[in-house]
Amino acid sequence: MRMGWRRGMLWALAALVAVSLAAPGAARGAAGPKVAFIYVGPVGDAGWTFQWDQARRYLAQHVPGVQTSYVESVPETADVARVENDFIAKGFSVIFATAFGYQNFTIDVARRHPNVTFVGIGPAIKLAPNVSTVYGKLWEGRYLTGIVAGKMTRANVIGFVAAHPITTVVAGVNAFALGVRSVNPSAKVKVVWTGTWYDPPKEKQAAQSLLDAGADVIAQHQDTPSALLAAAEAGKWGIGSESNMQRFAPKAYLTGTTWTWGPLVEKIVKASETHAWASQDYYGNLRDGVVGLGPLNPAVPAAVRAQVAEKKRAIESGRLEIFTGPLRDQTGKVRVPAGHTMSLKEILTFDWLVEGVEGKSPK
Amino acid sequence: MIRIERRAPMSREAAAGLRLAGVAGALLAGAAFLSATGHDPGQAYLDMLRGAVGSPYAAQQTAVKAIPLALTGLGVALAFHAGLWNIGAEGQLAMGAFLASWAALGLSWPAWALLPAMGLLGLVGGGLWALLPAVPRALWGTNEIITTLLLNYVALLWVDYLVFGPWADPSAFSFPYSRPFPDAARLPLLPGTQVHAGALFVVAIAAALGFVLRRTAWGYEIRVTGHSPRAAAYAGMPVRANVLLVMVLSGAVAGLAGMGEVSGVIGRIQQGISPGYGYSAIIIAWLARLSPWGTVGVAVLFAALINGGFALQTSGVPAAIASMLQALVLFSVLVGDFFVSHRVAVRRGRAAALPAQEAAAEP
Amino acid sequence: MDVYLQDIRKAFPETVALHGVSFEARPGEVHALLGENGAGKTTLMNILAGLYQPDEGSIWLGGQRRRWRSPAHAIAAGIGMVHQHFKLVPPLTVHENLLLGVRGPLWLHRRRDAARVASLAREHGLDVDPLARVWQLSMGERQRVELLRLILRDARVLVLDEPTSVLTPQESQALFATLRSLARSGRTVVFISHKLEEVLRAADRITVMRGGRAIATLRSQDARAADLAALMVGRHVTPPQPSPPPPGAPVLEVDRLTVPGDRRPLAVREVTLTVHAGEIVGVAGVAGNGQRELAEALAGLRPIASGAVRLDGRPLERATVRDRIEAGLALIPEDRLDVGLVGEMTAADNLILKSYRQPPLSRRGVLDPRAVRARARAALGRFSLAVPAEAPVRLLSGGMLQRLLLARELAEAPRAVVAMSPTRGLDVGAAADVHRALLEAQSRGTATLLLSEDLDELLLLADRLAVMYDGRISAILKRAEFDRPRIGLLMAGGAA
Repeated sequence: MRMGWRRGMLWALAALVAVSLAAPGAARGAAGPKVAFIYVGPVGDAGWTFQWDQARRYLAQHVPGVQTSYVESVPETADVARVENDFIAKGFSVIFATAFGYQNFTIDVARRHPNVTFVGIGPAIKLAPNVSTVYGKLWEGRYLTGIVAGKMTRANVIGFVAAHPITTVVAGVNAFALGVRSVNPSAKVKVVWTGTWYDPPKEKQAAQSLLDAGADVIAQHQDTPSALLAAAEAGKWGIGSESNMQRFAPKAYLTGTTWTWGPLVEKIVKASETHAWASQDYYGNLRDGVVGLGPLNPAVPAAVRAQVAEKKRAIESGRLEIFTGPLRDQTGKVRVPAGHTMSLKEILTFDWLVEGVEGKSPK
Repeated sequence: MIRIERRAPMSREAAAGLRLAGVAGALLAGAAFLSATGHDPGQAYLDMLRGAVGSPYAAQQTAVKAIPLALTGLGVALAFHAGLWNIGAEGQLAMGAFLASWAALGLSWPAWALLPAMGLLGLVGGGLWALLPAVPRALWGTNEIITTLLLNYVALLWVDYLVFGPWADPSAFSFPYSRPFPDAARLPLLPGTQVHAGALFVVAIAAALGFVLRRTAWGYEIRVTGHSPRAAAYAGMPVRANVLLVMVLSGAVAGLAGMGEVSGVIGRIQQGISPGYGYSAIIIAWLARLSPWGTVGVAVLFAALINGGFALQTSGVPAAIASMLQALVLFSVLVGDFFVSHRVAVRRGRAAALPAQEAAAEP
Repeated sequence: MDVYLQDIRKAFPETVALHGVSFEARPGEVHALLGENGAGKTTLMNILAGLYQPDEGSIWLGGQRRRWRSPAHAIAAGIGMVHQHFKLVPPLTVHENLLLGVRGPLWLHRRRDAARVASLAREHGLDVDPLARVWQLSMGERQRVELLRLILRDARVLVLDEPTSVLTPQESQALFATLRSLARSGRTVVFISHKLEEVLRAADRITVMRGGRAIATLRSQDARAADLAALMVGRHVTPPQPSPPPPGAPVLEVDRLTVPGDRRPLAVREVTLTVHAGEIVGVAGVAGNGQRELAEALAGLRPIASGAVRLDGRPLERATVRDRIEAGLALIPEDRLDVGLVGEMTAADNLILKSYRQPPLSRRGVLDPRAVRARARAALGRFSLAVPAEAPVRLLSGGMLQRLLLARELAEAPRAVVAMSPTRGLDVGAAADVHRALLEAQSRGTATLLLSEDLDELLLLADRLAVMYDGRISAILKRAEFDRPRIGLLMAGGAA
């Protein structure tokens, strides 16, 4: 039976030869910076990771000579350190590690590679001279979508499908409810936590339970359009998140918040070439365009459009601060006294829900 | 006529050759697919190889990745030897990590006391979690496949609850992470390497398992029970007690893998400490035909495929194609293995040559 | 329909099953295919029935050469086979089973079919309740359902594989009457058997096969049992001659033992038996009358409801399996593989199945491979077994497996042996070896309880014979009272 062994070797050899014949093409000798992106999920066609990949494409178009690469579906564990090291070994000098959970591992890699610029997702736990984080004041956009929802609801019951009760999500739910109540004080916002960022069937079920409870507008903080689709199937309104989700349900999509990282990424990459990007915990907002709104549904009346535009200008100019007292929690207790405006730090430790939100509070 | 038949036993060399031929076939098929999708197969394979073992760093990272795969694989293999399907290594790993983390976060002992305590608690956590399905299995023959599988979800949700709730790091904005472990709770690296001391667990357990199964009276009982529980009962072996003991030990080894991950790799407990090690363990144990050292070897192959898969992405191959290549290699190993015991017999198609008038002579 | 198989050759990966066998059978005759296990009888008939394709040779049916594309093709051409393991669906009724596999819109013909079934059944003595569920039927009744199904499909050639292996003597008698009646109606009937007597009794002609070859075809009135045996085995087999020693003191005592069953509340009811040293007590009965449960309860593998079991006066009914083994009680189980032996393990590993915890095989829980090998060599040598030491035993023949099992169970002169169907499925030579081993143990003073469905075996070996029916011992007969018809009646539940 030695023949079998030999035959196997022969095939293996043939495979190697075939492979090496097909082999490279020297790597492109590019002059520009090499910029790497690490994604927590697959790129897909909508959602957080999709928006980051849009930024990567934007960068490739706007910075001549830049070379970009990415790795998808990297879990928030030690794997990210391996991927980062791999990119560094290939000469990448800027790495966007686009999930909050990468921070813990990135900081160790960054210590050993002071010449590489690392950008993580905030809020920052720990920064280093070559480590920044970026995030956005998503709540500014949520407030505006809340105004649309408050105006469009007939039932005065609005559903919110939310991922995890972490502070940034809680802040968004609160801002949304404040937006709703600013135009429709009798409306209620019912929130359901799914405990997952990405689970289409579960998100759909959550939306369904809210529709069953009488909601006629479904808002969400999830990575998929499932909640929106559930609303569309029921003939109700939906509000998107992360991406412009209009094309998934053009009739039901009222509007939604969106992330736009391209210009910021371009700025960071260009600045890092001259080491001009200072380490920081950066928060984008409506004004710099990191946080934005998707297109408004044609069914939204002109008066409402005008109101949304006006509030948007007020927020951008700083005339309107959303989390300004008096703010009461679900029990009616005043948590932020009149005249006080919550600081960024206070917003990032939100663990209670404002009056008008029905649903389990995080604590 | 073509049919699949069992074949006479093969020599070791022939079997190895056949398996090698299988892998070669997979690489060729993968190369064709890569070319067809516009990638450079030579470069891709080089990247994969480099990412897995191409540098001291990469090789050591593959070893680190192999540690949890090997430990859970060994645990599962032990259960299989006794004819028990432990699909619950994932949950047992989580419970081991949980108890070990409890010590790491709660006890301010010096490393020489804390690390053994954590190791012990890891064993206990996994072992007790496996005892839960073992008891109904031993007493009433309740199918352990289902119970162990379902308990995985319970364990993972329990860890989720802890890291979102009581154990949440106050500085992590309620993201699902515990506080980082103190240095005393971190497994040291093996001198001169980047591989943590969990590698020693693998060596010790593989050696112990090999000895116990082959050379002890108890191991003999386990093998008899695994091949034929009725023969074990007939010979007066304590089948029920052995079911309990084997499941507990199997779970304990998986629990130790959890301790190794939180203490040696992640340095805290968080959501998603295992990207499915406990499930890969089942495939690993089977591919290794339940041999302890074989399990370690296959675990290293798996680790190389996973790390190589990430590296492959850095050269521009999408994650889906990287996963497909990984699956192709595994599949080909399995097919090669199948043809070690089977062969395709091709005979002249007599049935096809049946004359028409004979066929027409039917009543 | 004339059947002619011409120069059939069939090879399997590791053996040649048939070396060019020719065989012919005629309409109106009952033709027996006689041979030992592994002679190729079943393979030959499977080729006739389209389950296998021959490598060489041809099949002629009614003077026409045929090739089967599939078993269904053979069935359509009028070949029907009753396999050793029935192909019925137990949860369905007899009627539903009969309709299975019949083509066409069944429901249109139900009524007509029912009438036809009833008349066919009457004609050939195949009575069976069409509304009974198959799992409720005895083996004999199931066999009748199989036959009815073939007749309904207009089978002109009927092949039965070892049809009497699951039947009582009475049922066998009835079956042969049915086969005779079917042959008279112009069908060709072939049955496979390894039992000389029934072949001589029931067949018109006999074809003897040995080692994949057809050795001879004889008319049964011209054949003598001794000649047939010699043709079948290829040499003269001397049956072992029992010479029982005078029975000694009581060794195994069973007192009003009652054992719950799996399907019925009580499988064994108040069984009382004593086996003396150097005595073989046989237990006769149709399968499923509590024999298996009795053996398992004695070995400690099945909990008992009430009663007592004593070995050498020592109560054992609450003892563990291990305690019973150590007290000197051996069990030769019904299932050689999977209970008595572990198929995936080697002969050496199997030989230590009960003694692996004793020195020198293991000390302080650690096995000594040298001692294990030495034990294997000694045991295999003593029973002159040529068994490969390193191959899994599942590759061995049934005869080899049983010899291996006996080598282990009888090696240490147990006080008592409970043997359950020890020669089932074995060829004549292997069965004789098994009988010799049991007689040898007897001569050394072992008390033997032999449970068997083979009455010939019991009549040959037993000093006393207990008949079991519906969980009870209906009679215990001394050797002088052994009387085949009377025993058959007792086995069928009649009063003696």
